[in-house]
Amino acid sequence: MSRLSLVLHFIRRDLRNRYLGTFSGGLWALVQPLVQLAVYGFVFVYVFKAAAPGANAPGFVPFLALGLWPWTAFSEGLSRATTTIQDNAPLIRKIAMPREVLVCAAVASAFLIHGLGFCAIAVALWMFGVPIDLVSLPFALLTFAQLFLLGLGFAFLFAALQVFVRDLSPALPQLLMLWMFASPIFYARDSFPEQYRSWLQINPFAHYPESLRASMLHFGSIGWRADATALLVAVCVLVAGWAVFRRLNPHFEDFL
Amino acid sequence: MSDVLAEATDLAKAYPLVFRPRDRVRALWHLLAGGGRAESVTVLKNVNLQVRRGESLALIGENGAGKSTLLKLLTGVLTPTTGCVKINARVGALLELGAGFHPEYSGRDNIALAAALYGLDARETQTKIPQIVEFADIGHYIDEPVKHYSSGMVVRLGFAIVASLKPDLLITDEVLAVGDEAFQKKCVSWIEDYLAGGGTLILVSHSMYHVKKLCRHACWLKHGEIAAMGDVFAVTQAYQAYQEGKSAPLAATRANVFGQNLEFCLVELTLNGNSRAEEPLDLAQGDTLRVRVRVRSRDGRVPVVLFGIARVDGTPVYGVASDMDGVRPRRDADDMYSIGIAFGDLALLPGVYIVRAHPFDPEGVRLFDTLERSLVINGQSREIGMVRLTHSWIGVEADTRERAGAAS
Repeated sequence: MSRLSLVLHFIRRDLRNRYLGTFSGGLWALVQPLVQLAVYGFVFVYVFKAAAPGANAPGFVPFLALGLWPWTAFSEGLSRATTTIQDNAPLIRKIAMPREVLVCAAVASAFLIHGLGFCAIAVALWMFGVPIDLVSLPFALLTFAQLFLLGLGFAFLFAALQVFVRDLSPALPQLLMLWMFASPIFYARDSFPEQYRSWLQINPFAHYPESLRASMLHFGSIGWRADATALLVAVCVLVAGWAVFRRLNPHFEDFL
Repeated sequence: MSDVLAEATDLAKAYPLVFRPRDRVRALWHLLAGGGRAESVTVLKNVNLQVRRGESLALIGENGAGKSTLLKLLTGVLTPTTGCVKINARVGALLELGAGFHPEYSGRDNIALAAALYGLDARETQTKIPQIVEFADIGHYIDEPVKHYSSGMVVRLGFAIVASLKPDLLITDEVLAVGDEAFQKKCVSWIEDYLAGGGTLILVSHSMYHVKKLCRHACWLKHGEIAAMGDVFAVTQAYQAYQEGKSAPLAATRANVFGQNLEFCLVELTLNGNSRAEEPLDLAQGDTLRVRVRVRSRDGRVPVVLFGIARVDGTPVYGVASDMDGVRPRRDADDMYSIGIAFGDLALLPGVYIVRAHPFDPEGVRLFDTLERSLVINGQSREIGMVRLTHSWIGVEADTRERAGAAS
């Protein structure tokens, strides 16, 4: 119980300090992925002249938006959580505290911000006349919650490893970039070269943009087996990440 | 009342040796695979201790003896390599200055965080904040990031937080060393009230004065092991004697003094016939203290010799020079004089004192040399101060009940 309130405390502190001293405050949370969306939208639609990704997809921008927001939440949560143990070393070295709280808070605050951003962009797209299915927004948020579990699992793993292997955090942006382009965010699975398409199978993130598009844009469809597999994978990653974290946790202080 | 709040059993801690990044990876592999241990350096071993409710324990020892490591193990910040720690209390800890502050956040934010980590809810925290701010007394700095604080302010804030939490067990590491005098007094009087109210304390300090003032028990850590544990006076005496023994290279510095060929220098200082500098002299109240020195006089002139007794912290208790009483040292040889003084029926109260001797020129103006020895007065007196002044009570009746109680 006290752990939960600690997580909430750290989330509050994180949110407050992130946008403290900026003019628009919390608006930045929305502005940053919006700018990203605008840039990618412009480059892909006007420069690369990307065709609409599928016959029944309503344009590239909504297609992209449904991939970009979950990715932003996932990647930001991961990169913040990876260094969180190291960043809070002054605290960890002097106070006996449940360290997992720090990791949870880092991931949760990213998902909170970009989850809200996702809702906002969905409503905005709907107001601009994009045939987006707002009724399935709660289902989309459930998908987000599942993605949170997956992200948390990776976050535990990376945060624990980072304490020992400091190369992880400088390598992480490259890794995330690779991961982003290896996920069906800018493209649909169908437009991926056929001989490499099976590679998407091993990408645990690939499921999420597709699932969101299926529920909110009715673009493509996801079988229940794919849903179940994704859930299983998320839970397995979480359990494995937690196991590694718990194993290494008692030794953090020695290596910080 | 005798419940154990903190208990350490066969505690040992070894830090892994990680000079190169490669070592970190290897250590990671060892930990994950659960295989053999990586190379490590032992900083603490075979530590067994118990702290009961209402006790006050001081940890003393040289730098690097493992005091802070032991505190970290007791608070649970560190995981012991072997052995175990059991804590049955709400612990308020102040480790290595500052209760774990984040340098980027303001004092207020850090208070809120410390309170949350201690398990207070938002409402309790709100009621405590004004109290903490007042105790810390650091003015507008409370809203500045902690990185702009002086080390004294960090300690003030840290202590104020711990004080407001009123923990069952207070664990502090050298807090008293950094604050200014006014704040030290505030801390000491707070700790005294806290102990009087049934609080339990584990304190690390290099100030034997504070240790003896605040703690009833002491534990002396030497090279990661307990060298002595028990009554605070016995342990601090043993420790101070050891410390003085270590500064026995004093002999070397003495040689230096001789080498400088000063006009007057002290050759020997004996207390009650004992001239070994590393041993403090143990006396009881009312004993006789005999101090003798031999002085070498380069030009054969007769020195003036001053004898003094001071507290460990340097406060003079009494000093007298030979010329004040109209006496001169006896001439033993051409360039050698000796003189002694006896303090009978010693009025000093129990504690540790320093006996000093200085030779002056015949005019009693220039000081040439100093020799010091420790003097320990043993006793159980509850009187206050440094010396017992001759006194008699006026207009009183004998309290036979109280005397009987005191005698038993």
